[in-house]
Amino acid sequence: MKDKISNYIIHHIAKQKIEAIHADDDLLADGLIDSLGMMKLVAYVEKEAQIKIPPEDLTLENFMTIDHILEYLANHSTT
Amino acid sequence: MLYNLQHIIENAAKSLPDRVAFSCLKKVITYQELDQQANQLAHSLLNNAHLKGDRIGIYMPRCLESVTAVFGILKSGGVYVPLDPFAPAHRTAAIIEDCNIKTLVTIPNQKKRVEGVLKETSQIQLIIGSETISNCSSIAWETIFEEKNSKPLLEILESDLAFILYTSGSTGSPKGIMHTHYSALSLAKIVAHTFDFTQEDIFGNPAPLHFDPSTFGYFVAPLVRAKTVIIPEAYLKMPASLSALIAQEKISVWYSVPLMLIQLLKSNTLTKYDFSHLRWIFFAGEVFIPKHLKALMEIWPQARYCNLYGPAELILCTYYPLEEIPDAHINIPIGKTWANTEFKILNSQGEEVLQGEEGELTIRSATLMQGYWNNPEMTQKCFHQVNIAQGYQHTYYKTGDLVKLSEANELLFLGRNDRQIKLRGYRVELDEVENILLQHPLVEEAAVIAVKDTEEAQKLQASILLRNGKSLQIDELREFCSQFLPSYALPESITIMKDFPRTSSGKIDRKQIANLIDQPQP
Repeated sequence: MKDKISNYIIHHIAKQKIEAIHADDDLLADGLIDSLGMMKLVAYVEKEAQIKIPPEDLTLENFMTIDHILEYLANHSTT
Repeated sequence: MLYNLQHIIENAAKSLPDRVAFSCLKKVITYQELDQQANQLAHSLLNNAHLKGDRIGIYMPRCLESVTAVFGILKSGGVYVPLDPFAPAHRTAAIIEDCNIKTLVTIPNQKKRVEGVLKETSQIQLIIGSETISNCSSIAWETIFEEKNSKPLLEILESDLAFILYTSGSTGSPKGIMHTHYSALSLAKIVAHTFDFTQEDIFGNPAPLHFDPSTFGYFVAPLVRAKTVIIPEAYLKMPASLSALIAQEKISVWYSVPLMLIQLLKSNTLTKYDFSHLRWIFFAGEVFIPKHLKALMEIWPQARYCNLYGPAELILCTYYPLEEIPDAHINIPIGKTWANTEFKILNSQGEEVLQGEEGELTIRSATLMQGYWNNPEMTQKCFHQVNIAQGYQHTYYKTGDLVKLSEANELLFLGRNDRQIKLRGYRVELDEVENILLQHPLVEEAAVIAVKDTEEAQKLQASILLRNGKSLQIDELREFCSQFLPSYALPESITIMKDFPRTSSGKIDRKQIANLIDQPQP
C-alpha cells in the first residue's frame, strides 16, 4: 500500500516533478499537492483499501504524511 | 492622520499597542511589535539603496512574516508584489522581470524554491529572510530585527503605488493590477463603514496574499483594530481540520470563495464544535449555489451572510446581505454598489441600457486600480471614459461581466462577455491556456473549454491539433504546460484530435467540441 500511494502521488497528483517521496514527508504544508489533488488522493486510498473514509476524518492528523494515512487505514480497515 | 496603508498600523500601535494584531497557529504579533518590526524592515530596505516606488517581491506561503513584509515594504516607500510560492518558477520569473523586482522577502524554509526562481532569472540581487544563496546577497530576519525600530522619515502619499497583483492575462503572460494606497485604503474604509465590525472581532484569513480577498484580513481588520488569524496552507486541504480551527480560534468574520464553505459544509463537522462566535460569513469570486448556501445558513443560523462582488481591478464594489434564507432556485444578486462607488450598465455600443435590460457592468469607484503595470494600451482598453466637460472625465472600469438590474434595483450577475472564467475561485483566461499550448512547437491549434466537473466546480478540457505528421505524448505536453501555468489552470484532460468542428467562417467551434469530447473518440 505504501508504494502504491507514493507512486500515485508521484505520477498523478504531484505538482512538481519528484523522484521519490518518503513516508514521513509532509504532504500538506507545501505546494506538492493542491486541494484538488488531495481529493483525488482520498478517492484513490478509498478504492485501494476498499473502505469509505467519512468526511469528518479528513484531518491533518490522518493525512499529513503517508505514514499517517497507513496508520489510519490500519485502524479502520474492515478485515 | 490616515491617508496611507501603514497609518492603519501606526495608529493602532499608538492606541492599542499590546493587542494582538495577527496570529498564525501559535505565533502572534501585537500592533506595537508589528509596527516596530515593519520599521526595521523598512530601514533595512532603505539602507540597501531602495528608492520610493521600487517593486519588492513577497515570496512566502501564508505565515505571520507576510504581515511584517507587507507593512515593512510599504513603510520603505516600496510597492509589494505578492508572488505565489506554489506557481511554476518560470511564471514567477516572468513576473519578476515584468515589474523589475530586484529584492525578494522570504522565509528560511523557502530556500529551495528561491533557488529555483534564481535559476530562471538573474535579476534578483538581494534576498531578505533566508540564508545565503549563491550569487546573491542575503540578510537574515535576525539581522533585520537589529535595525532601529523608529518610523523612517519618508512621506508616503495616498497616490503612491502600494501593491501589484498579478492575474491571468489572455495573451499568455500574467498582467499586473496596480493599486495605490488610496484605492486600497478606500476599500478598507468602505468595508469598515458598511459593516458593524469592532475591535472584538476575529477575522479568518484563508486567502493568499496574491489573491485580493486578503485585503480584508491585512487592511480591513487592523483598521477596526480587530485581530486576523492567518490560516496556514495545510488546513485548506483538510476541511474537517479547518472547521476545528475556525471554532478553536473563535473566528467571528469569515471571507472565502463559496467552494471552501461548501467543503466545510460537506465535512459533516459543523455541528461538532462551538461556532457561536461566527457573526459574518462573506463570499465572493463565484456564484454560491443557493441550495448549499441555504444548507449552510440553516446549520449556522447565528451568522449573517453577505455576497460580495468585484474584480481585482476594483477589489470589491457591490454587496448583497442576505436578510433571509434564500429559495433554492434563485440567482443570488450581487446587490448594490456601496459608498464612494457608482455604476452604469452599457450595451455593446457603449450606451446605457434601460432598467431590466442586460449589459456590461462598468464601475467608477475610489477603489479603482491605477492601471495595468507596464501596459498602458490594456489599461486604456479596460476603461470607459465619460467626458463631462473639456478636460474633465469620469473613468469607469469595464468589468466584462454581464448584468441586469432587478426590480428591487439589485444587480444580477448573468455571465461574461469574454472567455474569462472562475475555476475553483481562481480567475483564469481560457485564451491564456490556449496560448500556452500553442507555444509548444508541435501544437498547430488548440481549443480550451470549461466543462462541469462536479455540481459546484468546473474543469478545463483542452483539445489540440498537431502539426502535420507529428506525434506527441500527452504527458510531455502536460509537463510543458506546468512550466508556465499555475496548477489550478492546468487542463484536466488533453485530447489530440484529427480536426476541429468549425463555424462557417472557419473558426474553431468550441461549443461543438464540448459535445464531441463527451462521446468516445473513434
